[in-house]
Amino acid sequence: MVCPGRGTYNRNELGSLKRTGGAYEELTELFDNIRRREQQLTVSELDGSDRFSSRLHMRSDNASALIYACSYTDYLNIDDHALEIVAVTGNSMGWYTALACAGALSPEDGFELVNTMGSLMQSGGVGGQLIYPCTDIDWVANHQRERAILDRVTEIDGSADQVLKVSIRLGSMIVLAGNEAGLRAFEKAVPVIGDRFPMRLPNHAAFHTSLLSPVADEARLQLANLPLQPTSLPLVDGHGSLWYPHCYERDQLWDYTLGRQVTETYDFTTALRIAAFEFEPDMFVVLGPGRTLRQSVAQCLVAAGWRDLEDRNAFEKRQAEEAIVVGTELVS
Amino acid sequence: MSDANQLHEKLRRRMQTGDYVVGNVGRAGLPNAAAIGIFRAQCMSRHLDRIARNLQKSGKSFYTIGSSGHENMAAVAEALRDNDMAFLHYRDAAFQLRRAMRVPGSTPLRDMLLSFTCSSEDPLSGGRHKVLGSRLLAIPPQTSTIASHLPKAVGAAYSIGMPRGVNRGPHPLRRDGIVACTFGDASVNHSTAQGALNTAAWMSYRGLQLPILFVCEDNGIGISVPTPKGWIASSFQHRPGLRYFYADGLNAYDSYAVAREAVEHVREQRQPAFLHLSMVRLLGHAGSDPEISYRSSEDIASDEQHDPILHTARLIADRGILDGSALLAIYDQVGAQCEAIAAQAAVRPHLANATDVMRSIVPPRRAVAPASIVTPDERRKAFGREWNNIQKPQPMAKLLNWGLLDLLLEHPEIFLVGQDIGKKGGVYGVTQRLQQRFRAGRVMDSLLDEQSILGLAIGAAHNGFLPIPEIQFLAYIHNAEDQLRGEAATLSFFSNGQFTNPMVVRVAGLAYQRGFGGHFHNDNSLGVLRDIPGLIVACPSSGRDAVAMLRESVRLAREEQRIVVFIEPIALYNIRDLYEEGDNAWSTTYPEATYTAPFGEVAQRGNGPLAIVSYGNGYYLANQASRTLELEYGIDTCLIDLRWLAPLPVDSLIKAIGSSDHVLVVDECRRSGNVSEAIMAHLHEAGLQRIARLTAEDSFIPTGPAYAATLPSCAAIVETSLALLGIES
Repeated sequence: MVCPGRGTYNRNELGSLKRTGGAYEELTELFDNIRRREQQLTVSELDGSDRFSSRLHMRSDNASALIYACSYTDYLNIDDHALEIVAVTGNSMGWYTALACAGALSPEDGFELVNTMGSLMQSGGVGGQLIYPCTDIDWVANHQRERAILDRVTEIDGSADQVLKVSIRLGSMIVLAGNEAGLRAFEKAVPVIGDRFPMRLPNHAAFHTSLLSPVADEARLQLANLPLQPTSLPLVDGHGSLWYPHCYERDQLWDYTLGRQVTETYDFTTALRIAAFEFEPDMFVVLGPGRTLRQSVAQCLVAAGWRDLEDRNAFEKRQAEEAIVVGTELVS
Repeated sequence: MSDANQLHEKLRRRMQTGDYVVGNVGRAGLPNAAAIGIFRAQCMSRHLDRIARNLQKSGKSFYTIGSSGHENMAAVAEALRDNDMAFLHYRDAAFQLRRAMRVPGSTPLRDMLLSFTCSSEDPLSGGRHKVLGSRLLAIPPQTSTIASHLPKAVGAAYSIGMPRGVNRGPHPLRRDGIVACTFGDASVNHSTAQGALNTAAWMSYRGLQLPILFVCEDNGIGISVPTPKGWIASSFQHRPGLRYFYADGLNAYDSYAVAREAVEHVREQRQPAFLHLSMVRLLGHAGSDPEISYRSSEDIASDEQHDPILHTARLIADRGILDGSALLAIYDQVGAQCEAIAAQAAVRPHLANATDVMRSIVPPRRAVAPASIVTPDERRKAFGREWNNIQKPQPMAKLLNWGLLDLLLEHPEIFLVGQDIGKKGGVYGVTQRLQQRFRAGRVMDSLLDEQSILGLAIGAAHNGFLPIPEIQFLAYIHNAEDQLRGEAATLSFFSNGQFTNPMVVRVAGLAYQRGFGGHFHNDNSLGVLRDIPGLIVACPSSGRDAVAMLRESVRLAREEQRIVVFIEPIALYNIRDLYEEGDNAWSTTYPEATYTAPFGEVAQRGNGPLAIVSYGNGYYLANQASRTLELEYGIDTCLIDLRWLAPLPVDSLIKAIGSSDHVLVVDECRRSGNVSEAIMAHLHEAGLQRIARLTAEDSFIPTGPAYAATLPSCAAIVETSLALLGIES
């Protein structure tokens, strides 16, 4: 099971919490209460807006809470008689959702974590992110291109006043984060691909970089007492570590979650490789909202060469035959 | 139902009913999460053993030697750091699994199952062997069946404290790291293992740092032969220089606690320790081993009674960390996980042809830092008084000495090791004054044991050094030859080029020592080196070539990660003259860098109708014979020095022969199994008709006046040449 990160609740997802969370009114109410306590718009209100507003729905403090609420209720919709979940992973803030789904946090504590992080990002998140393709168009690895991008990042990051780091490895895409000067330098330095890339991710901070160390420090203070529980499912994190139930100390998981996870590159591609090869699942269920992460999951499987998926074509052919990357609609 | 499946069912039943074995409570100190991590690794290891055997039944797995009974090696892994290099016994799946669980990016279950099925996607060996190992986990693969990995483990441990050069390899061992080396109670009896343990104790006794943890996994039986009760403890309890620790290897808490103490001793004191763990062996020696044919069913049942997984379950449950049903759930979940991966591993591709199989015999090239810049002043200072002689012609031994000196100056990662190479400067003076100039850290007098010398070199190479070990005499290499054949040369092959141990092994050898030494100092056979895939054998005939070839050998080791055996003809070390006394015709000046002897290329002199192909002493004699043929018979020759004896430079040789229509091969090595046979075959395959060979007899070399009676001589070369040309002498 794969939990999505930021950028997955967009115009088309407006109202999706109502659809996925309909059966879980009490839980949604709990989430809303936390938001009221913090004097924030509730997730129900946000989801029930008449129209989608980037400025409103994509703010860190709103988007994170909305995405978590959608993902978690989506997870609850899964028919666990029909499906045995063998491991959980997530992309970026999806890691927090993964913690809750695996049982490390109660649903509301998971919400508390996400909401706190979202708020801290909104108030103290500096810098921004952009996304750029790092493979060939058919998802086949292009080491030369990737090397060139990484060299460029190192070069820009080495210049005075410019900060640029690899933020997320995301299948065929690489997400870079840095300060404005660093991002701008990259945009100038590389060719435009497909009229869109490099593409800025609006309202995103320099996630998964050292620029967010102050946010991580503050989060550790604010969330020190959040009770972590023993998990019931293995978790695969954004550094390629596997957290089997009972095999780690609470502090280790917490240190990772509010430490390296926040300030170092999040390698979703590796997380998927580990999940694919170390569990050999029949399918990858990608939680909502939206569907954008499904493509990234597919790209990661191609990057790993999982079961002979050598390119986009091979994936699409296999997907048509046996639906290996699915949303919860197939398993609810 | 197979033994493995029966054992699995029994284990499940007993876990279900809480029918754990009776045992002591175990020592404190193991954190709860680590205990469960160890238990999970143990379950993984056991399921993998079972699945390997099931895969074998369906023809999908090919070699099922397992780790059942040795699962507490996971506790040893827990006590070590994840980057402490580990040279593992073949029963240590649980060790590797536990380490992998702690290292991000690992897929240990998939990796091992691909290894079981010999898939070309096996990330360690690329489908060449079922072997433990992982680059990521600092576990080099081992042919540990005969404990031949112990000498190099000692070498790797020793290298941790060696002076560090600037051109180190990409994965040097940490300064505060240690090396772990594991083996069984039966394999420890191999002389190789005994030699390595002796070396470790000797070095420690001598006051050298040697941070190595030896772990003897004592299951009481070696295939079918029981180890005498108390043998391991009695043998190792009181060895000087080697601290002994013992733990009940069935008890994870005890194993961990004592392993920790041993590890701390090694890490803090930088001294070796011997950790003795008593264990049981379950499921026989290997899948193909009918244990019941040599052990009583009571004995087998008694071992099963002490299944270490049941012990671990008991220890965890008794501490109230997890209850029996939760532990059984972990066991079952791991089983299902392994089965799912196995189903996929079974359909992954295999190596398909000879090219695929052989791809990693020769290691990949690597990028290396440029050589150090040595200023003329530094060089002059290093040469000392010798500097005044550098323009004067010298014999081979002196030029080699200077060649080594320059190489030590240029490449800080070079490390010389051998018996007597330090103060004495080698038996023949080739390493004279080098220790004085570069200190014992880089020019090390070893103990008198060739296995250890090669082991030190191989181990240091694992840590990014470039060793140049010296073997005093060719005949002495035989008691250590497996270190090259079974260990060094196979490393790249079965690690798919990921682990390498490049080095240049200098060996003083061959015959013609004017009556000295007999067969043990005049060995004239190279068969034992020439048939090892990937190994390069070099043999110079003059001092100038010796330096150029040594430089080329170092380049091959540094840049191409090759293992080169550099045979130095003892009888030519101090030869100055060629034709007559005092002519100084075989002395040469120290070659400038532009004089090269590239790998794969022969040297040629003249282009007459008679080609004489030789090397070493034979080439020297051929030079003498050539003058006689020219002056007395008017026959022009084409003298060819092979230089590289394995692999043979066939293309270059054929090219050098050119239009010469008669070819004589002169081989100072024995007639059988040596260079001449191969050359004759190649010449024949190249369509050359008028060929002959002159070789040493299939004899050992005697001491005294008859020392050369069985060897080719100048006169015999002349005579055979004339016969080949159809001219009466």
